[in-house]
Amino acid sequence: MRKYVLVIPLMLACGLWLAAGSPYAAEPIRIGALFPYTGNLAKLGNETFHGADIAREWINRHGGVLGRQVEWVKGDAVDAKAAVGEAERLITVEKVSVLFGTYSSSLSLAASEVAERHKVIYWEQGAIADKITARGFQYLFRTCPRASSFGAIAVEFTAQDLAPKLGMKAKEMKIAIVHEDTLYGTSVGTAAQEEAKEMGLNVVATEPYSAKAVDLSSLIMKLQAKSPDVVIATSYMTDAVLFWRQAKELNLQIKALVGTGAGHGMMDFYETFGKYSDGVFNVDFPVIKDPRVLDPKLRPSLSEFREAFRRKHGRDAAVHATAGFVGAMVLFQQVIPKAGSLNPEELRKAALSLNIPAGGTWQGWGVKFAPPGHAAAGQNLQCFPMVMQWQGGQLYIVSPPKFKEKEMIMVPLPSWDKR
Amino acid sequence: MASVLGQLILNGVLLGGIYSLISIGLTLIFGVTRIVNFAHGEFLMLAMYITFWLNSLQGIDPYLSFVVVVPLLFVAGLVAHRLVIHPILGAPSYMQIFITVGLSVMLQNLALFLWKADFRSVDSFCSSSTVKIVALLCGAPKLIAFAASALTTAALHLFLKKTYLGKAIRAVVQDREAAQLMGIDIHRIYLLTFGLGCACVGVAGTLMAPIYTVFPTVGVYFVLTAFVVVVLGGLGSLPGAFLGGLVIGVVESLAGFFVSPQLKEAIYFLIFLAVLLVRPSGLFGQIGAEELG
Repeated sequence: MRKYVLVIPLMLACGLWLAAGSPYAAEPIRIGALFPYTGNLAKLGNETFHGADIAREWINRHGGVLGRQVEWVKGDAVDAKAAVGEAERLITVEKVSVLFGTYSSSLSLAASEVAERHKVIYWEQGAIADKITARGFQYLFRTCPRASSFGAIAVEFTAQDLAPKLGMKAKEMKIAIVHEDTLYGTSVGTAAQEEAKEMGLNVVATEPYSAKAVDLSSLIMKLQAKSPDVVIATSYMTDAVLFWRQAKELNLQIKALVGTGAGHGMMDFYETFGKYSDGVFNVDFPVIKDPRVLDPKLRPSLSEFREAFRRKHGRDAAVHATAGFVGAMVLFQQVIPKAGSLNPEELRKAALSLNIPAGGTWQGWGVKFAPPGHAAAGQNLQCFPMVMQWQGGQLYIVSPPKFKEKEMIMVPLPSWDKR
Repeated sequence: MASVLGQLILNGVLLGGIYSLISIGLTLIFGVTRIVNFAHGEFLMLAMYITFWLNSLQGIDPYLSFVVVVPLLFVAGLVAHRLVIHPILGAPSYMQIFITVGLSVMLQNLALFLWKADFRSVDSFCSSSTVKIVALLCGAPKLIAFAASALTTAALHLFLKKTYLGKAIRAVVQDREAAQLMGIDIHRIYLLTFGLGCACVGVAGTLMAPIYTVFPTVGVYFVLTAFVVVVLGGLGSLPGAFLGGLVIGVVESLAGFFVSPQLKEAIYFLIFLAVLLVRPSGLFGQIGAEELG
């Protein structure tokens, strides 16, 4: 201990000198990072933040934003109540002019109200509930797609890509839609139903179920009775696993399973099923592994991101981390420099003036925010989920063609004993 | 149609076997100590995690890890009883509820902190095999769980009927004060029952690990149903817990198919209410047991 006696006052003195406005370091830009870092939603909350944090390190290494370093002021949004409280604190006490978050829709819905009231920018890059951008907010921007587009893309993919592959006419196919019954599953499931209706497809069953169910055998028996060709499923993790396990147990034969995010996109799904996960489709935010499909000037930063993430966390960046990274990069690289300051009005104008074509971000999306007065004001209209397929423990993009990484396999799915 | 009905009932019975497995431990604890143990599901979670770690670190098949997990859970039960339950035995019941809820939240968060929120799965020699009985299909792990559930119930039932300790436990269930007057050390009985109840949930955990994903809040998914089963079967009644589990399982399976998977819980709670209105002590409960202090 004694050794440090001198060091501590020295450090304090240095700190004070820096804080007192040293001529060499401009004050850092502080961005509020509102995520569930603890509690039930912690896993993916942290995952999203980790991705965004790599964007921050990247930009700081490359000269910062407006010549200043970026730092986070964290707010722990354990639940909706905490999200509101922490948003309030970040804005009024910490005086941040941008809130960056939040991964979960219910948290985002609650916290963005606070930001809107204080006229502070709310930058959302992970929550997908349609309602978030359906409230006509002025200061809210969302870089990622909405839940309804997940359902719609799943149906379009089934009709346009799977049907020809199966040698069937789209209208002859029997489609079943199963979804868990919270806000997430219901909005995706309903969108899928509507899209199918619009395209005149034959939906033989629509089955909501509780994500907390410990048994889905009766649901599978119901499907068996309707013998659908394709099942479109919206599930969290445990129910996605339960469904597929019991489908195998009860020998449910379908030609394809199209998941829509969450459970079907997580590594845990592959770790549970191994070879039985092969052939399962998932509609989700893309994770581009092959940089050749992107704008050439994005390629180096994509591989830097993927390497930095692997170094820091010992595994590959998955969906949520990538979404966090992209959301943060757009903010740091495009919006703030364009605005030239952290004034929310300037930031808003800069965000609305963005027009990045598809392929222009690391997720293959472009960026063009719906202007005020639009039914989805603040929504990025240039983004879309893509269809991926599990092949040997990896999810590869199989559609749309422009971003295709691999040809699809196992259509139709072989019988369970031949996989 | 006959085969569909048969399959539905089989599914229900197998699911019921799992419910019974969790409930026999709970009915012992609930029936004897009258503590509403909300942390029961977390003991299940602990058992599942121990099974998972033994499997992933040592490569031990979940069906063998049984010999480690069950004694460990017994000890965990003794410790929990000594530290948390014993001091509040005389307290009002709402206090006891707060304590066990607190224990449950603490264990969940401890697991979240130690083992992260990842969803783990345990592989066993038979985890993906299916058994065909005539024309009906069932997963091998579930069949094993069902058999174990029936065996555990039978063994415990014999223990309660035949041994001195078992008789003492039953005496405490029937009349605490009289048992005490007869020279039974009720605190020792409470301690042992709590340990025994946790050991039962240890059996459940090892057998369920190959069937369900393991994560910190997995216990929450089962604990409410387990309470329903225990009350339906009758407090402290092992055959009641076993049959109660089967009834709930079959009702759930049939309701999910004929009505809607969304409504199956509503339907079994309806049946539960109806049974309690007619027989407040549950199917096999001792009449008046619900009023004992």
